[in-house]
Amino acid sequence: MTMHGQIELAPDGSAEYPGVRQAWLALLARADIEELDQAFSRLAPPPRYEFLRPPESGMVMLRARIGGTGDPFHLGEASVTRCSVRIHGGHTGTGYVLGRQRRKAELVALFDALLMEPDNRSDLERSLLRPLRERLRDERAAGAQSSGTTKVEFFTMVRGD
Amino acid sequence: MDTMSDLPLGLRDPVHDAQAAFRAALRALSRPGEPVSYPISGPPVAGLMPATAALLLALTDHETPVWWNHDGPLRWLRFHTGAPAVTEPGQALFGVVRAGGAAAPLTQFNPGTDAQPERSATVLIELPALCGGSAVQWSGPGLREPVVRRLAGLPAGFWRQWSNNHGLFPGGVDVLFTCGHDIVGLPRTTRAIEREDC
Repeated sequence: MTMHGQIELAPDGSAEYPGVRQAWLALLARADIEELDQAFSRLAPPPRYEFLRPPESGMVMLRARIGGTGDPFHLGEASVTRCSVRIHGGHTGTGYVLGRQRRKAELVALFDALLMEPDNRSDLERSLLRPLRERLRDERAAGAQSSGTTKVEFFTMVRGD
Repeated sequence: MDTMSDLPLGLRDPVHDAQAAFRAALRALSRPGEPVSYPISGPPVAGLMPATAALLLALTDHETPVWWNHDGPLRWLRFHTGAPAVTEPGQALFGVVRAGGAAAPLTQFNPGTDAQPERSATVLIELPALCGGSAVQWSGPGLREPVVRRLAGLPAGFWRQWSNNHGLFPGGVDVLFTCGHDIVGLPRTTRAIEREDC
């Protein structure tokens, strides 16, 4: 499936649908619930939807890779809340978010469903995704800057023998 | 493509509706032959009776492989409970047999072992009607007196397979018949004799 419009949803600029959806789901999962709630209150008319799967909390095992050999190991468990909604006469969306905020999982699922309708994308990109992406990028840059001052450069001295 | 737009919903109230379905199954198996009504009208699932759908949603999970005798709503069950579908009856913990469809003989389902009889399969069989069929006398635990039941539309040769199954005790499969909202239990302990005279 190809993207409609000129919106830049995938970080790598690809127009591949699964990657694009993955990108907006990743963004939405990092949103604050206030940001999602505000975007929801701006929807006119408010979409009518039903739960295919009501919000439910559970645990997932986080796996990471250790340096050197790169073997995966179990880092620990994290609580995750998931939800699936279906918009009346429309698409089905799914949200997975870290933590136990049921309303957040519901809103992520709802926006996922809305974003699958191409007509909604440019509006939501402007009102929700772009501000979110910029906030996350700024926070990341600020974090990188503050940790950058503590960076230690290691030099390898070549022994001259 | 968005392929989930036609997926039927699950239980409206997951906790209480599943408890009601479990309660109905428990009662049906402890009172063999007595129809027990699952009282809740859930979202309809194409190709399944309401009682069958409720039992599947209440009883299956990701560790209970399900065998279907027809092209059942696999994605629906997979989404709501995570239960995988299998192609061999012997690998399944639940079998779903639709009315009129070709049924696997009961002997192909897993009867459990003498050491672990609880690992046996439970077979859900949908029937067109709970009366009007040929007379069969049921007796055994849960029945003070033998009763005569006339379940209609059973798979061919069912009662012969059943006496075989009864002989596997403590192993053997349990059967839950469904018809609309009604459930009739046939646990492995029930002896069934086909009657010509009544």
